[in-house]
Amino acid sequence: MAVSDYDADATELLETYDFLMKYIIIGEAGTGKTCLLHQFTHNSFKEHSQHTIGVEFSSRTVKLGEKRIKLQLWDTAGQERFRSVTRSYYRGAAGAILVYDITSRASFSNLSRWLEDARALASPHLVTVLVGNKSDREEDREVEWAEASRWAAEHDCHFLEASSLTGENVEAPFLLCARSILLAIESGTLDPEKAGSGVSYGDRALRRVNSSSRLSFGSLSGGRRKSSVKLRLPGTGLRCC
Amino acid sequence: MTSAVSPSAASSSSRLQAQGQNPISLRLYKVLGANFDDDATREALDTLAELYAPRPAEGRAKDGKQETEADVDGEDDRDVNGARPTGLVASAGAGGVAGDMAARARKNLRRDVESKLAESSKQFLKAFGEVDKQLDTLQEHIGLMRVRCDEAQSQLHETNEACKSLLDRAGSLREERQGIAVRQSIISAFLSRFTLSSSEKEAISSRDVPLGPTFFAAMDKAARIQADCRVLLTASLTLPAPSLGGGEDEDGEDRATKAGRDILAATAAQLEQTYDKIFRWCCFEFRQMGKDASLDVSPTMREAVKRLRERPELLMEALTYLSQTRQATLLSSFMDALTRGGPGGLPRPIELHAHDPLRYVGDMLAWVHQAIAAEHEFLESLFGIRNARRMVGAERTFGASEEESWIAELLDGAVRGLCGPLRVRVQQTVRSQESSITSYKIANLVQFYMVTMQRTIGREALLSKTLEELTELAYSVFYGAIEAQGRSLLHVQLDPDDTGVSPPLAIMDHAQVLREMMVVYESSLLGNEQEEELQAGFRDILDKMVDPALEMTLTQAEEKKKQRPVWDKAVFVLNTLAYLQSVLEPYAFTTEKRGVIQGLVDAKVLQLIEEHYQDLLEDAGVAEVAAACEARAQNVSGLVNGSISEGCGRGREDGTETRSIQGPLSHVPAGEPAALQAALRRFSEWLSGAEVVQSRRLGLLTVQSVATRVHQAALERVAETYERICEEVKKPENKYEAAATLLGSERPFGQVRLLWQIFGLEGRGR
Repeated sequence: MAVSDYDADATELLETYDFLMKYIIIGEAGTGKTCLLHQFTHNSFKEHSQHTIGVEFSSRTVKLGEKRIKLQLWDTAGQERFRSVTRSYYRGAAGAILVYDITSRASFSNLSRWLEDARALASPHLVTVLVGNKSDREEDREVEWAEASRWAAEHDCHFLEASSLTGENVEAPFLLCARSILLAIESGTLDPEKAGSGVSYGDRALRRVNSSSRLSFGSLSGGRRKSSVKLRLPGTGLRCC
Repeated sequence: MTSAVSPSAASSSSRLQAQGQNPISLRLYKVLGANFDDDATREALDTLAELYAPRPAEGRAKDGKQETEADVDGEDDRDVNGARPTGLVASAGAGGVAGDMAARARKNLRRDVESKLAESSKQFLKAFGEVDKQLDTLQEHIGLMRVRCDEAQSQLHETNEACKSLLDRAGSLREERQGIAVRQSIISAFLSRFTLSSSEKEAISSRDVPLGPTFFAAMDKAARIQADCRVLLTASLTLPAPSLGGGEDEDGEDRATKAGRDILAATAAQLEQTYDKIFRWCCFEFRQMGKDASLDVSPTMREAVKRLRERPELLMEALTYLSQTRQATLLSSFMDALTRGGPGGLPRPIELHAHDPLRYVGDMLAWVHQAIAAEHEFLESLFGIRNARRMVGAERTFGASEEESWIAELLDGAVRGLCGPLRVRVQQTVRSQESSITSYKIANLVQFYMVTMQRTIGREALLSKTLEELTELAYSVFYGAIEAQGRSLLHVQLDPDDTGVSPPLAIMDHAQVLREMMVVYESSLLGNEQEEELQAGFRDILDKMVDPALEMTLTQAEEKKKQRPVWDKAVFVLNTLAYLQSVLEPYAFTTEKRGVIQGLVDAKVLQLIEEHYQDLLEDAGVAEVAAACEARAQNVSGLVNGSISEGCGRGREDGTETRSIQGPLSHVPAGEPAALQAALRRFSEWLSGAEVVQSRRLGLLTVQSVATRVHQAALERVAETYERICEEVKKPENKYEAAATLLGSERPFGQVRLLWQIFGLEGRGR
């Protein structure tokens, strides 16, 4: 169910939305951040991708349960020389997609530095999803799934592996992140009304606020447990033997 | 009547039966055998009985009647018959009277019956008289009735006549009504097609009906009416209109066009109303939504904007409001981000980091960039366009369509307000920098954003221009800083007491700064620059940084040399130049400057070779002999060329006296065999020393390859000089006795080749 949800036609642009969320995509150079994003926004693999210069912007509206969420995605350059520029974009992000390359241990070992940076500069409730990219290159794997999963658990991140080449699991990190943020809003730890939280209400949600005194997240809470279990399945399925 | 006679006939026949077949008897029998017991006979007898029983008058009358009836049968039966009724009457009535009566009856029957008949006829007459009277009355009545009926009929006829025209009229009216009904349905169809219903009108004009599908439907209808009307009008102008009657043709056409024009006018007014309403709504919404942080566009809003595009002047005005509100909103949220930060102070306000200039400027510009991205999305959505397939980060093209140019304009307007505060802050930051490196980094950062913004909002936008200006300012501040640094470098004096020949500290500090700048520059490259672009981007900085360093090195070395002649200036200069080169070496964009320095180095190397050669000649003790030979060679060549040779170096100085003498070399003091012998011995000794392999002086050069090059070049020239000496000595006109012995007494025994070997230069020269 959950997986097929993600495959659903979420590429509906020009639509009103309930929430607007700002994400940053960070990680070492060459881990495939831009390709991951390209796969997510264009549903295709970006051939001959160059190093990103500074930051690039794109957006997409996704559906999560009954909620429409517009994601503002800031794709940052991984190269060290752009750090001073890209760090300025961490400000007020609600979610971070932290990307490493499963075929490069170097890209994995620097993760804590990236995470610390992001947590220090972005919103205090930053939701982070760790993504092991290039999962299609199993034969060149240098970082084991279990190890990355452990790291993610220790650092309070969500984790999954994806392939921006095949598109496998590409939507999941973005939706997982959105789900966590919605839950934070529901539980009251995050207030979209305040500037700088990285989340704001869209027209649809505002209308709903006006019509009923309280936002309802019934559908979301109901489906959550089931979905999050299933979310890990593609990964565990690969690992378990 | 036969039956009435037959009973008596039957009784007589039974009596006569025995007499056989006599016709009379047969007849009698037949008569006697007749049965009178039938109903008709009985009735007839009863009637007779009645006639005679109570009153004779009555009986006679009845008999008479009976008689007339019986007459028809014949005379024969009358007797028999007469006898029987008497018998019957006698048996029924009183004895004596009855017999009398019957006789009388038999006599008077006829008369009785006749009188009775007459009496009855009289009664009949009387009765009929009555009837006749009644009938007359009846006839009278009927006659009256007839008159009445005739009257009625004539009246009916008249009425009928009168009704006929009425009926005709009714018929025509009915037809007319039918026609009118048709026309009515046509007209109502026409009206429903060519006018707006009241609810539609209300949707268009009333303030109470909000903008929405109803409104847009009404508007669509109005627009369609207008279009249809236009089509019809043009059609009626170009084509002969199908008309109802020939005479009305022109008139009808006129009326049709008039109606068309009226409808057009009414619809146009209504359409204007709709645009007006949209305009008002948009103005209101724009002012409202401008204040929200959220930039969501409802479908109604998008539709409204799309429709309002038909009235560009209204749309422009509405967009002006939007632009104003967005500008104010963005400004206030920018100020919030600068001074107040996020909820609960997190993320921290940008100004908190004002002490870190790069972060401060970077955060501000990034904030602006992000605001622009959101704004741009909002505007795209407002105009209903979406470059969904635009490659991430690809340069936007503006002005391609009307919307794009609007978007560009609106973006410009929205971020216009940010320019002021941004400019003040960046200017302040730029001006307050002391470190030229930081200045350079800021300049680079601002330039980076300038390029980014130009791509995002176009070159013409105020923000782009502001950033351009700021970039210029940052660079000019930076250039000012490095120029000042260069000037101060020129004032640095070398320590006259320092005997060292390594690059001075001031130069090294300066180079360190340069090195950092190169790192910054390299990191700012996108990797796709042309060679020329690459060099140009850093040329100014190199000029401003390296030229003062070169100048300082040369002039200050000169100064120091004056104060301290023993100090090895040439090596110092070469070392410093080599150091500067090594600093520039790793970066491709410094090749030009490195070429310039290389030119200097080459010149200095030539100088050093010359110096070193002379030093070597001195050290080897052959300087004087060499000078003498040199002088002679120059003289010879001078004579040959017919001109005065100027010579060079020490050779000229030493040769001035000898030039006029022009005697044999052996007569020159330095060339006297004894002196030559001594010189050759010293040369031989020098050849065994370490100096041949490695010069102590050149060992101070930091770049060993240069040292080797200089040393070898000098050695080559020494070898050439030795060769020339040998040649001179061997010449007869120089009058050496036993020249071969003289040369062969000491190493390298006059063998030039051996000398080359000793110098380790066999591969080169001859």
